[in-house]
Amino acid sequence: MNVLLCSINTLKRLYDISAVEVGQHFYWQIGSFQVHAQVLITSWVVIAFLLVSAILVIRNLQTIPTFGQNFFEYVLEFIRDVSKTQIGEDYGPWVPFIGTMFLFIFVSNWSGALLPWKIIQLPHGELAAPTNDINTTVALALLTSVAYFYAGLSKKGLAYFSKYIQPTPILLPINILEDFTKPLSLSFRLFGNILADELVVVVLVSLVPLVVPIPVMFLGLFTSGIQALIFATLAAAYIGESMEGHH
Amino acid sequence: MKNITDSFLCLGYWPSAGSFGFNTDILATNPINLSIVLGVLVFFGKGVLSDLLDNRKQRILRTIRNSEELREGAIEQLEKAQARLRKVETEADRFRVNGYSEIEREKLNLINSIYTTLEQLENYKNEAIHFEQQRVINQVRQRVLQQALQGALGTLNSCLNNELHFRTVNVNIGIFGTMKEKKN
Repeated sequence: MNVLLCSINTLKRLYDISAVEVGQHFYWQIGSFQVHAQVLITSWVVIAFLLVSAILVIRNLQTIPTFGQNFFEYVLEFIRDVSKTQIGEDYGPWVPFIGTMFLFIFVSNWSGALLPWKIIQLPHGELAAPTNDINTTVALALLTSVAYFYAGLSKKGLAYFSKYIQPTPILLPINILEDFTKPLSLSFRLFGNILADELVVVVLVSLVPLVVPIPVMFLGLFTSGIQALIFATLAAAYIGESMEGHH
Repeated sequence: MKNITDSFLCLGYWPSAGSFGFNTDILATNPINLSIVLGVLVFFGKGVLSDLLDNRKQRILRTIRNSEELREGAIEQLEKAQARLRKVETEADRFRVNGYSEIEREKLNLINSIYTTLEQLENYKNEAIHFEQQRVINQVRQRVLQQALQGALGTLNSCLNNELHFRTVNVNIGIFGTMKEKKN
């Protein structure tokens, strides 16, 4: 009897140490909607970081760039290169969109992996990367969907819909299906990667807190960066695909 | 500062679920691993990043310097080409002026020579006309004389008989005799 109680107690203590909260959110009431406040808060932090760093760098532009200006110019060249490769000639108007996607996703992923969010404790749920919530990634994916529709319609007008029967009309149902699977795959890819990495790290930390999680954290940094790049590249590719073929 | 840390510590003592607060459980919030990860990232990343950015900066500097030099070279060449243009223009003007006066001179020479040739031809023409005229006049004279002689001969032959002939010969002898006496 005592032995049983002891084991139950140790199990309970283990449970206390290794508690992982997934799925419990911190809700705010706005109008008749409940929003995930922790995602909003971390998103605001990411946005503030991006805006402040950009404003700080832009203030004193010079021909021979300083370190910060050089870094931002390098990032801009990288994003321009990605857009140009995927979209083709009229890539100019789409650079801000692709850049925003890339930078927001990259900074939010890395902030989730690098910043000690768990120090701040919320009544329910916890702070983490904003992209670990399916709502964020679905929002980004739907924005991409709207963007490539807008690109195709503004460039080709109603002739855009001829692309649905493009190689042969038999592929019409597959092309329509593609319009649904594209945002689906974008959102789930990003969400799955970020949430999974976060969960793995948390579980490892709860098992062996000290050194073992470190390789997984590096892997997480690497894959989250790659995911940001993939999201941006795919968004640019979809936009380019819907704008092409304008003979 | 102490007050702030005190209030943070207070917050840490609150129950860990159901309220705002700061989690001070080192093992759960993971600061050790995070700091190791951040440290390694900064350590290696700084080297790579500053290399990249230095390269970019050097490339920018080099491009600017190259374009400056090219600009200088282009300005020099422009200056040289302009000086050459001016020189060639003055020479062309000079040639043009000279050329015009020479053309005038040549023209006058040609006109003069043509005039002389023209005069010569006039003279020849006039001479030829004169000559023809004379010839024709001589021909006509000859014809007239022939006609007259033929007429006289005819008249003489028609009305000449022995008596007239005898008397004419006598007159002629008398004339020749007088002429011979005058000469002597």
